[in-house]
Amino acid sequence: MIEVRGVTKRFGPTTALDDVSFRLEQGEILGFLGPNGAGKSTAMKIITTFLAPDAGSVTVDGIDVAERPLDVRGRIGYLPENNPLYVDMLVREYLDFVGRARGLGGARLKQRLDWVVDACGLGSVYGKAIHELSKGYKQRTGLAQALIHDPDVLILDEPTSGLDPLQIIGIRDLIQGLADEKTIIFSTHILQEVAPVTDRVVIINGGRIIADGRIGELERRAMGSNRLYVGVRAAADEAEAALSAVDGVESVSLADGTDGAARFEVRAPFGTDVRSALSGAVRARGWELLELHESPYSLEATFIALTRQARDAREVVHG
Amino acid sequence: MGNVSTIFRREFAAYFNSPIAYIFIIVFIVLNCGLFMTPFFLQGNADMRDFFGNLPLFLIFFIPAVTMRLWAEDKRNGTFELLMTLPMTGQQVMLGKYLAAMAFYVVALLGTLPIPIMLAMLGNPDLGAVFGGYLGALLLGGLYMAVGIFASGLLRDQISAFILGMLACFLLFLLGIPAVTATIDGWLGGLGAFLQDTLGLMSHYQALQRGVLQLGDLAYFLGLTAVFLTLNALWLEGRKF
Repeated sequence: MIEVRGVTKRFGPTTALDDVSFRLEQGEILGFLGPNGAGKSTAMKIITTFLAPDAGSVTVDGIDVAERPLDVRGRIGYLPENNPLYVDMLVREYLDFVGRARGLGGARLKQRLDWVVDACGLGSVYGKAIHELSKGYKQRTGLAQALIHDPDVLILDEPTSGLDPLQIIGIRDLIQGLADEKTIIFSTHILQEVAPVTDRVVIINGGRIIADGRIGELERRAMGSNRLYVGVRAAADEAEAALSAVDGVESVSLADGTDGAARFEVRAPFGTDVRSALSGAVRARGWELLELHESPYSLEATFIALTRQARDAREVVHG
Repeated sequence: MGNVSTIFRREFAAYFNSPIAYIFIIVFIVLNCGLFMTPFFLQGNADMRDFFGNLPLFLIFFIPAVTMRLWAEDKRNGTFELLMTLPMTGQQVMLGKYLAAMAFYVVALLGTLPIPIMLAMLGNPDLGAVFGGYLGALLLGGLYMAVGIFASGLLRDQISAFILGMLACFLLFLLGIPAVTATIDGWLGGLGAFLQDTLGLMSHYQALQRGVLQLGDLAYFLGLTAVFLTLNALWLEGRKF
């Protein structure tokens, strides 16, 4: 469990975090989203006790990071944005070092080493020097380091940055596999990476939280209405009139039309299902229905809309 | 203690993971012995006075070169963030690093032991002075090492850390030279003498070199070493804010 309350952090004249609060339950995965420089890394550094906040407080499993930082550090596995590897060491030596520094030893250390090597797929490079490894293996070694002591809480800062698509899927699967028992925060500026892993996101921009919730809820808030695509073999203007007349439809706009067929973007309020009404209206006129489906918004569009809303809101407040 | 020894082992091994350590030790032994042996054959005295006399100046270059990487390298690599989020205190990490650098220096110093052994075979050296000289070398090295690790913490770049450490050590060295402090006295009466008493290292070092063990000299070296290590620990804490 992680609770961040009213955390503010300034570096000289710039405010990296401005009154940031969010909460994460045991066993939850949180996607921490935002553009580069939004304050994601700073927030993670504060949770891991690397930095102290100027105001506000953070607790991990109920322990205050300012009061008992060592207890908090013991519970957290942390992969910073700059992968903290000692490139002069072998993978085996490095993981052994971090394990010992985290208080493991003897049979327990050996058992955990076996586990992380297996879980992170490091078997083939276990005896190699870290500077010889590819970027993907380096990243996995960094992840193995964060998992060596079987922490309750995982803080992963951009764990997939710079990896190729297959490697990204590998890391994603690993994170998902850990999801049941651990509380995980992972940050990214690539929005598509979040949805397959979790639907709980916090979006941060310019040091402020602009959204916190399930991806679905955020879409609703950002976009206001649901979006469907309807393709009909009919004249565009006739079809548009017919679809607009359907109960519950907010707006209809022509997406693209070719000879004798048209494709429309239809907006309807969230929580209503107008699909059967739409197909009924098309069939009643004897037209052929070419397509009819709901189209979820991309996370990018949601993100941009939320960012804009947050900026507008601030302008209203500050006049 | 377990934490300190974990860090110590990693840092000590790090010196020997690269060929630089071997080059360092060989340069240390060859230069020191070379500087010593040249006048040794001219004078024909069975003592190590020249050997220990060279050390304060020689170590100004050698020790900062050993300590420059201690924090600067971790900051450059990102491993600093790993170290500062391990379940141990910053002081424990610092102590592990400091002791590893000291152990490296001791290895280099052990390499010069053939000199006293040779002296004992050739003549009848004052063993008290030899022992005092080695103790002085350890304490002097320990002080420079504390200055160096502090300098390394302030900077991200190893070369800058080397130069800063060297300048700081050189300052301690200069403040122990009567000609320098006399000049300072000329600017502001009493200041030079005061600095020489409190900070200058030569008089304390020379006493040990003669084989004279005095509490004041030990307190000077250990005290000033503790001051710089404390400054380093304070910096580790203050960095968070």
